[in-house]
Amino acid sequence: MRKIALYGPLLLAGLLGGGLAHAGKLKVVEVITSPERTKLLQTQLAAFQQANPSTTVELITIPWDGAFEKVLVMFKSGQIPDVIEMPERWSALYVKGKQLEPLDPWLKSSKELATLQKSVQEAARFGADKTYQIPYGFYMKALFYNKKLLAQAGVRPPSTQDEFVKAVEAVSTKVPGKYGYCLRGGRGGGFEWLGHSTTYGGTGAFFDKDGNSLYSSAAFQKGMQMVVDFYQKGYAPKESISWGYNEIVTGFYSGTCAMLEQDADALIGIAEKMNSKDFGVVPVPTGPNGKGYPNTGFAGWAMTSASANKDEGWKLIQFLSAAKQNLEWAKVVGVLPIHQGAEADPAFAGEHWAGWFQTLKQSDKYRQLTPPVNLPEWGAMYDKTMVETGQEMLLGKRSVPEVAKQWADTLTAAQRKFTAAH
Amino acid sequence: MHTHALSMESKTLPPQAQRAASHRMRHALPWLLLAPALLLVCGVLLVPLGVGVSYAFQSMSMDNLFGEAGFAGLDNFRTLADDPKLGGVLRNTLGWTVYSLVFQCGLGFGLALLLRHSGTGGRRLQALLFLPWAIPSVLIGLVWKMLFSPYTSPLPHWLAYLGVLPQAADILADPDLAMLGPVVANVWFGIPFFTITLLAALQAIPEDLYEASALDGATAVQSFVRITLPLVMPTLLITVLLRSVWIVNFGDLVWIMTQGGPVGATQILPTYLFSTAFTDLNEGYASALAVAQLVLLLVYAATVLRLRRRIMAGRTEEST
Repeated sequence: MRKIALYGPLLLAGLLGGGLAHAGKLKVVEVITSPERTKLLQTQLAAFQQANPSTTVELITIPWDGAFEKVLVMFKSGQIPDVIEMPERWSALYVKGKQLEPLDPWLKSSKELATLQKSVQEAARFGADKTYQIPYGFYMKALFYNKKLLAQAGVRPPSTQDEFVKAVEAVSTKVPGKYGYCLRGGRGGGFEWLGHSTTYGGTGAFFDKDGNSLYSSAAFQKGMQMVVDFYQKGYAPKESISWGYNEIVTGFYSGTCAMLEQDADALIGIAEKMNSKDFGVVPVPTGPNGKGYPNTGFAGWAMTSASANKDEGWKLIQFLSAAKQNLEWAKVVGVLPIHQGAEADPAFAGEHWAGWFQTLKQSDKYRQLTPPVNLPEWGAMYDKTMVETGQEMLLGKRSVPEVAKQWADTLTAAQRKFTAAH
Repeated sequence: MHTHALSMESKTLPPQAQRAASHRMRHALPWLLLAPALLLVCGVLLVPLGVGVSYAFQSMSMDNLFGEAGFAGLDNFRTLADDPKLGGVLRNTLGWTVYSLVFQCGLGFGLALLLRHSGTGGRRLQALLFLPWAIPSVLIGLVWKMLFSPYTSPLPHWLAYLGVLPQAADILADPDLAMLGPVVANVWFGIPFFTITLLAALQAIPEDLYEASALDGATAVQSFVRITLPLVMPTLLITVLLRSVWIVNFGDLVWIMTQGGPVGATQILPTYLFSTAFTDLNEGYASALAVAQLVLLLVYAATVLRLRRRIMAGRTEEST
């Protein structure tokens, strides 16, 4: 017994660490986690192993909070996995650091992935000429609204930005103790300063053709000012200055605030807590040029350049990204699937999903907006600078033009650096 | 072969040299026996510390995240001297530490005095009181964060009803009050440590001292000031030293509750360091911040230890 206690951990450590270099062993890291999705991934990995008995797959699940730091430390200390789930916002750093393997040689000849949507293939290239991941789906913003609160305020779900501002005001002023907008000022709060600005700016881009940041434009600042006004006029809860994802979603389903811009993955949580008849989802409001710009993010499966089993790694990525597995995945995770024709699946036919599929169908009216994730500096900009300075604006400590200038200067410099290097 | 030669040699050594050799052996033996432990301590403590300090003199930023770091000389420390945010961060760190410490120590000491003569029931209570100490900081942070939110807890509503808060609002969202949130959570967490250590010190004070002073007509306040306080002082100072170093380093609680916000109102050195390393990805500068924190804490520890030694020396003088 004592021997087991003594050698057991050693043996385990040997099994975990020592086997990495052996052919046919794949270490897979998952970073955006939930119990349901980890379970599905395990099932899919088991199916892959059954089809490829010579390969063994080890799954490492890292909870999203703190995942960035942990994965970074894994890479820097040489414990590099073969296949990794790569959120778009991390990609620029890993691509720049030459940690990811271009997938084009395999992708070109892949039959399974021939039906990928065009937007998926574009997104996977990050504005460069190589494909560094196969996205497993899009996280796209749409507008959730509380039917009861909007009815009490006597407004309809908004379709334009002007209607949206009026609806926010109506709920906040006519329904006692309720707020029109679920504002996200804390963790992940960079989000507030993207979509509203591009909608007023009438563009899905963040830079003009000379590489200057559009935050210096009056139209972008109008979007920022709108959010600041919401907060200062009391159209969003006072606490929302420190709200993150959980708080805005809770604020919405508890009926504290009436409208929320979120991805389809929030639908799962909201549908659990709220009667499905009490809320609806519509595309994001359109701006002065009649077009809407839903903020679109994605994540996917990438292969590391350090992997010793690249062919097996590709097989796994291809398996997870194939139409059947991706459809299962999209339903559980709450992302928009990547293969053409997947939206015909009955699971996406419900009333709530219409908000996203209407967006996708009217591709002239709704242009996907992808933040400049190709810039390595974007992570710090979005996660830190925009949150801190955003809070300063909300509290009236700094003016919108002043902060916008700071952002524009930083982003223009980063864009110049990127253009010079590519 | 070698040992044989050695024993031959020792046989032929003059008695004086033999004595010197055995003397050396006697001195070396404890070190030899300690060697494995010392090597382990060096391996897991000093080497990583040295590596961490060396990062402060390298340029390790987003631009060479996975590449070779370049030697930066004192650049990171120059950045530190010019950092416009650092002053606020240091003020916050001081406030966070002093408030947490004063309330933990005061309440913990009070509780220890109450529990001193409490008998069996008190001993059961002691076990219960120690509970917060056993809860992981992540959980403490999350629970207190929920307690401060008017949407998930009645606490802000009660405070508003009692007139403590003007309205039922989340103090963590108010830059002027936000620091109170983590401080309250930390006080709740840290009281037991003071209670337990000070209770042990209190129970070590002989009862006859109090009896003698009572016979001499000392009041409760007098016997507290002249007997209790001086006798627990050495323990108190060590506990204060340990706790204050731990509190300064207890950035995880603050990070979980506020991430240093809003508007940097709760940004203390460890959270600032963490976000510099992992959001700005400037590990060189983060290490320089860590070195600065280490130096500040060493100076502080040296001061407290000196103070303690002086008190102890004063006491021996008095008693002789």
